[in-house]
Amino acid sequence: MIVRVYAALLICASLFMAAQNYGDSAVRSNILALEYAWDQAQERGDIKALSAIFDNALVFVDFDGKILTKTEYLARVKSDSSYLQQIVTESMSVQVFGNTAIVVGTYRAKGVEDGRPYLRRRRFVDTWMLMGEHWVCVAAEATPIPH
Amino acid sequence: MWKLISVFLLLLLASRFDAQDTARPEAEQARILTLENAWNQSVQQKDVSALRMLLAPDLIYVDYEGTLMNKAEYLASVQSLALHPVRIVNESMNVHFYGMVAVVTGVCRESGVKHGKPYALLERFTDTWVRRGDNWVAVASQSTLTPH
Repeated sequence: MIVRVYAALLICASLFMAAQNYGDSAVRSNILALEYAWDQAQERGDIKALSAIFDNALVFVDFDGKILTKTEYLARVKSDSSYLQQIVTESMSVQVFGNTAIVVGTYRAKGVEDGRPYLRRRRFVDTWMLMGEHWVCVAAEATPIPH
Repeated sequence: MWKLISVFLLLLLASRFDAQDTARPEAEQARILTLENAWNQSVQQKDVSALRMLLAPDLIYVDYEGTLMNKAEYLASVQSLALHPVRIVNESMNVHFYGMVAVVTGVCRESGVKHGKPYALLERFTDTWVRRGDNWVAVASQSTLTPH
């Protein structure tokens, strides 16, 4: 009897751990998809799509150290979209801490500003939270890095 | 035997639902701000033992030059003989709570001597803290230079 109970407990534990691992893997895929959706929406200047990605209390720290609210960030994307041509994410890794996910990565942004082409490279850290059934970005920061 | 099974099931449940813990926000905010200041003091004093307690094993750290570090690399950078921070002070910190997660933004003024030369930095930072049991640990930190 005792052996059976222990066996049942072990099966329960392994199933639970497997479910968690699968869960983390699914979360990582979900978050990466959202990061790519963010890039595409930013390229297109799609404010509606971006608005759904961010929490209303978003804290965004830009590459020049300026801190922006969600409204300020969306307004900036809208004005940027005329000269931003492409954003390419080079690398990303996701760490999951329960209902929180931290993404660290680098991207290149290409565009034209004041008539001159630019190519910028940045390292970013984004913090995502599971709110209800959806993941939303609550904080993001970007730091310039060499090309 | 059934007690053992009950405990096992409770532990399973606790690991899923501990995020529902409700601590007083003011007290938790004060705690986080204290930890932020303790972090600065530990860096200034090169107190790696204290830093080990503040930082999660899986810490993600991006410094103002964009260099990505894990916990071991960050602790090694703090211990660098070439770096002598004299003053590290945080200003205008804000804490946003999301259950068992706290996101802190603020400005850090740091001055000291690096490679024999004086330096002064003003950095905007974002730190993410996660509550693990009774303790808060930093899981991510990033700094970006901001004009003086």
